[in-house]
Amino acid sequence: MPRSAFFDLARPSRRHWLGYLLLAPAVLLIALIIVYPLFVSVDLSFQNVNIARLDQPRRPFTTANYERLFASEDFWNACWVTFKLVTIVSFFCFLLGLGTALLVNNRFKGQALARLLVALPWAIPEVIAVVIFAWLFDSSFGLMNWLFIRLGLVDQTINWFSSPDAAFAVVCTVMVWKGYPFVSIMMLAGLQSIPEDFYNAAKVDGARAWQRLIHITIPSLMPVIGVTLVLVMLWVFRDFSIIYVLTGGGPLKATQSLSIMTYEQAFGFFKMGYASAIGVITLIVCVIASRLMIARAPDNI
Amino acid sequence: MTRKTTRHALLYAGVVLTCAILVFPIYWLVVTALSEPSQLRQLPPSFWPSEPRWGVFGQIMAEKPILLWLGNSALAAIGAVSLSMIVSVLAGYSLSRFRVRGGQSLGLFILTAKMLPATLLVIPLFGIFRNLELIGSLWSIILAHATLIIPFTTWMLKGYFDTIPRELEQAAMVDGCSPLGAMVRVILPVSAPGLAATALYGFVLSWSDYAYARTFLTNAQGNWTANLGITTMKGEYISNWSDISAASILVALPILAIYLFLERYLVGGLTAGAEK
Amino acid sequence: MAGIRIDSVTKSYGGLAVLKAFSLDIADGEFVVLVGPSGCGKSTMLKILAGLEEASSGTISIGDLDVTDLAPGDRDIAMVFQNYALYPHLTVAKNMGFGLKMRGTDAGEITRRVNEAAKILGIDHLLERRPRALSGGQRQRVALGRAIVREPQAFLMDEPLSNLDAKLRVHTRAEISALHKRLRVTTIYVTHDQTEAMTMADRIVIMKDGVIQQIASPDVMFREPANLFVAGFIGSPGMNFLKANAQAAGGGATAKLFGHDVTLPVANAAALAGKEIVVGLRPEHISAGPGQVSFAVSPRLIESLGSEQYVYVDLPEEHRREAGSGGDDESRRTSLIARLINPEPRPPEATLMLSFDPARLHVFDAASGEAIR
Repeated sequence: MPRSAFFDLARPSRRHWLGYLLLAPAVLLIALIIVYPLFVSVDLSFQNVNIARLDQPRRPFTTANYERLFASEDFWNACWVTFKLVTIVSFFCFLLGLGTALLVNNRFKGQALARLLVALPWAIPEVIAVVIFAWLFDSSFGLMNWLFIRLGLVDQTINWFSSPDAAFAVVCTVMVWKGYPFVSIMMLAGLQSIPEDFYNAAKVDGARAWQRLIHITIPSLMPVIGVTLVLVMLWVFRDFSIIYVLTGGGPLKATQSLSIMTYEQAFGFFKMGYASAIGVITLIVCVIASRLMIARAPDNI
Repeated sequence: MTRKTTRHALLYAGVVLTCAILVFPIYWLVVTALSEPSQLRQLPPSFWPSEPRWGVFGQIMAEKPILLWLGNSALAAIGAVSLSMIVSVLAGYSLSRFRVRGGQSLGLFILTAKMLPATLLVIPLFGIFRNLELIGSLWSIILAHATLIIPFTTWMLKGYFDTIPRELEQAAMVDGCSPLGAMVRVILPVSAPGLAATALYGFVLSWSDYAYARTFLTNAQGNWTANLGITTMKGEYISNWSDISAASILVALPILAIYLFLERYLVGGLTAGAEK
Repeated sequence: MAGIRIDSVTKSYGGLAVLKAFSLDIADGEFVVLVGPSGCGKSTMLKILAGLEEASSGTISIGDLDVTDLAPGDRDIAMVFQNYALYPHLTVAKNMGFGLKMRGTDAGEITRRVNEAAKILGIDHLLERRPRALSGGQRQRVALGRAIVREPQAFLMDEPLSNLDAKLRVHTRAEISALHKRLRVTTIYVTHDQTEAMTMADRIVIMKDGVIQQIASPDVMFREPANLFVAGFIGSPGMNFLKANAQAAGGGATAKLFGHDVTLPVANAAALAGKEIVVGLRPEHISAGPGQVSFAVSPRLIESLGSEQYVYVDLPEEHRREAGSGGDDESRRTSLIARLINPEPRPPEATLMLSFDPARLHVFDAASGEAIR
């Protein structure tokens, strides 16, 4: 096999060159479409820019965007909305995800089908999920209003999308419906890796089902729970499609998360410098979160 | 043994009830699609239309360019996934097998990239694509989707390659392959299931995007992707719910099909018969 | 087929030296076994030989060719891996023919060699199967076949028997030895099992912490271990070690063992005077009943295997070495094992008389561990 001696990557002394070679395309592409745009984003945030035009000379450096940001009521409202969303949706995703995983983890006929069905919402595109729930929560003819009245929960129809609290609730519902399958799948994988013998030993010791759950299952799942929790929270944090298509951030900015606000400012009001500043804030949050995750469970990613 | 059977019955009831409630929205989508718009304005809502109009699918495909939208989504996905896979397979393999200086930092960066909001990158990408006159072209979202896909696929592939024993390449090298040859002739064929699952996951990621499609393609109707098309059917206050439901079902079908395919790999493992 | 020369090969990962100054000359057709505990560097040396790892310094020659920086595929060697490393997507026949195909051998020749090797190993009925349809032992044979077919200058084997169950291991061990006798290909074999080393090797290279402890034929290594580590590693159950003090007495050296003054079988007796030594005695060199040096013991435990007995005796305090003095098994520090072959049936009694021949003793310097002859 004639190979040029110098470039012979099979030789022990040269083999590590191949490592660099293989990495090069990825590094190049990522540099072009992710790293460079991130730099542009940070750059824009320090300029008074309405529409990003890269072919024109740079505008002067200014921190006005950030000053405006921290003084803006809308910004802090968006932070608050985002915080509420992340905590509420993550909580219910976990409740539902863990619950369904525990349920489906038992051996019974049709277990495979149940597993499939339980995770089905993951496969529905977010936009479609929004269509489904927008219709379900339609104020005039939606099923939900009819159900609520029928069950006596309310005495007149709720206008879900005109009331700030109600709209927020609908957004949460859609996100939980879309988000819990991921938790379910992760929990299932975690559950299946718990050795049978742990439970056998506990049963021999006389532990009841409830005790086994608290003292064996949950502690064993802790690493998976940790990682999954961070991933879900980050997903809610950065979601755009669901909120934008469902409520557009309203009514009265009740559902305007940081993500929505960034987009609105950029493509609604065409204030891209200002929007980039918001974007940079969200970037910092993401970096901190990923650092935390790596510190906790470096192999579980 | 009645305690066990009651336990079993309770479990079954619980499972059936839970699945029914969780899957109900999808069922409702189908019901809505098959109902006449006039039927939808009646209360109480019927849980199955008295005369399901199966022809709605053909009708909606004639009214709206559903196939065009699906085709665009598919093209974008295929483009984005192809680009991403080529780059990710090489990088994932390198990260798995070689101790490269800066490899750890790259890994960390990729991890962070997984969590970036689309709304962050969409602004600078808009500026960049504007400069390159790509706005409105499918290439803009192919590249944009790649930013979504590459972090995921690289990490998944690295993890997958980690499960393949190094002895396999070593045996191939002793047999006379160059390291690259070993990768191509041995590792890639053995990885086929993992590669397929990763590619399909990337496909789903691309298909689900809405933010980039809306930003770059709104003014190019001929290039609308499926998600974008569906949202244009949803009015601010009033929508033709049965039509939009029918269109939604058509748009969701490809992904549902892929999901049914992928489900096996999601929780299961992949075995290699090479060694013990 | 060719001799192999390894000259001062070292390997370090950053500051960690895994292999220190390894030199060895292997004759054409020789079966050399590298043996030692985990982490001793034997697998690393094998990988460097194969070209799968880069040596930090030193040279390697196969035949007359300097292969130090040659690709594994250019060294004309074949390797058998611990986990077999069979290509899962290829049939057995294609697995075995892969190396030849990479070298551009013509198809007819490949088929001929594959069939021949398959016949020798008794796997010709498996040629069209995939690896996942084979048992562990069968996969092992395919791995061997893949190596044979190449007709290389040397075989490198990395713990090929570790993943087989005990019975299969014994059987395959004999097969590999028979194969070597038949083919006469230079073989370097790595294992952590001293039994494999003793039964298969022409010469054994025993290693610890990256350093060669001794190179010798199995017999020599058994009879004349170079230091405490080798003495304790070779033989099962391992050699008994007793702490003692050497004294000069009438032209020779003696040590007080079990209360007796015993003459030590060393040449330069005077140099030993007053030194702290470790005396080694193999369990099989202890007999029941009175003998040249006798002592009475109360056995702590007697294990009977039918044709032989293992008698466990607590070592008297004066003969116990310090804790942590290099042995891995704490219980061997405090006890003596005697291996009695075909023992006389006797009623279970509290005391037993044991004896040994002083010529069978091994003497080691307590500080350095080196053997003193």
